[in-house]
Amino acid sequence: MRKLADKVLSMDRRVIYLLMAAAALLPFVTGPLGLPSRVSPEVKAVYDRIESLPEGSPFLISMDFDPASKPELYPMAEALVRHAFRKNLRIIGMNLWVTGSGMAEKILSDVAEEYGKEYGKDYVYLGWAPGATNVILGLGQDIYKTYPKDYYGNETSGMSVLEGVRTLKDIPFMVDLAAGDPGIETWVVYGKAKSMAGGCTAVIAPGMYAFLNSGQLVGLIGGMRGAAEYELLLKEMGKATVGMDIQSTTHVLILGLILLSNFAFFSTRRRG
Amino acid sequence: MFLRQYVPMAIAFVIGVAFAVQYYVPHPASEGLLTTVNDWLIVVSGFSMVLGLASLMGSHWAKVRRAVPGWGYSLVVFLGILGTLAVGIVSKGKMFAGEGLTLTALGWVYDNMLVPLQGTVFSLLAFFMASATFRTFRARNLEAGLLLTAAFLVMLGHVPLGEYIWDKLLGFLPSKADQVMGWIMNVPNMAAKRGILLGVGLGAIATSLKIIFGIERAYMGEGG
Repeated sequence: MRKLADKVLSMDRRVIYLLMAAAALLPFVTGPLGLPSRVSPEVKAVYDRIESLPEGSPFLISMDFDPASKPELYPMAEALVRHAFRKNLRIIGMNLWVTGSGMAEKILSDVAEEYGKEYGKDYVYLGWAPGATNVILGLGQDIYKTYPKDYYGNETSGMSVLEGVRTLKDIPFMVDLAAGDPGIETWVVYGKAKSMAGGCTAVIAPGMYAFLNSGQLVGLIGGMRGAAEYELLLKEMGKATVGMDIQSTTHVLILGLILLSNFAFFSTRRRG
Repeated sequence: MFLRQYVPMAIAFVIGVAFAVQYYVPHPASEGLLTTVNDWLIVVSGFSMVLGLASLMGSHWAKVRRAVPGWGYSLVVFLGILGTLAVGIVSKGKMFAGEGLTLTALGWVYDNMLVPLQGTVFSLLAFFMASATFRTFRARNLEAGLLLTAAFLVMLGHVPLGEYIWDKLLGFLPSKADQVMGWIMNVPNMAAKRGILLGVGLGAIATSLKIIFGIERAYMGEGG
């Protein structure tokens, strides 16, 4: 027994890598696991807030992430943009991470095409501007001075999508999707948004609960799980729902490895 | 001495005090001042990117010139920067051509190079995390045991398969896996995060005051 425990404890890391690869590929072999997911109150709160907005309300979405966080935040952004277009909200898109500006543009363009929405009337993409905190402060002062032109070089003043919007205070609700800094915390500290929710990678979600409980965030979508819950609320199975199977198998493998290593550890310790 | 020390300290003091006061003055003149200074900062931030790029290229050029071990990777940096720059200029900085969703050369580089490369590097984390978890996540003492239990429960409650296992094995308990995870996130996790946030906030105020009153001078290249 002791020998076996020693062997387990000194397992070659390549075996773990292989197990991990097998766990990630398993859902491709077995097909969808079809396990039901429960919707958490923090995700439901974001959904309900968008549902409560009257048609034609401006809605700001800042997509502050880059391709490294694509599996978690891309489906989340798609789901939120879909929801906003379904509700006929006027979407104002932007981003604070320069390497993510192309992805943010693609999300808006793809979903807009799907819903037959018109650029400049139903949505606008402001793009990226340098100086994250100053951009947020600037939006609190005057959107047209911070973004005199949109991502495509069009004048922002006079765009019908921005009618009645001068500062962040004129936007009833915004969501920041973040993979780090600048992100949700930056918006909470420097933004003057009337009402705000956050969406983030699972790794930074625990740090956002303080803002949720204080009411600075009305809701929080955490990681791929949060995105899958949102897709469930929209009744639309997307990339996050599919990705949850892979996350399920890999998480359970890691849990199994934790149990195995602790059993082996204690069995070697007890026997001296 | 005067220009290098007293002038920057005086600027830091005046600007620091002025903008601490500005926050509490909702007059249009005060708001206008903030907007103007904020515009300056956005312009300065833009130039800092140029400075960063110049510094990156300078350090890699030195490696290539001295042919230090691994200088070939520095050449890759140059190829990447200059290649993307050229493609960006040709595509006029646009991802899509015209009104449709046809990719430009820049869009192609972004979609087929940057996105998969960043995704690949980040996805490797899963493998390293699995290995590190196996080697280090052991209940060696009470604190490590508590951390392990909390992490175990959060991971279990985070995925549908974990919830399914919980329901099958511990379904007789009054709480579900996601509720246990919710409690851990909303109570002990949030208490710790609040403590950290308060500490960071107080630290930021203290550091700001030290800079405003000239006690902290590291920004001028001095020791302290």
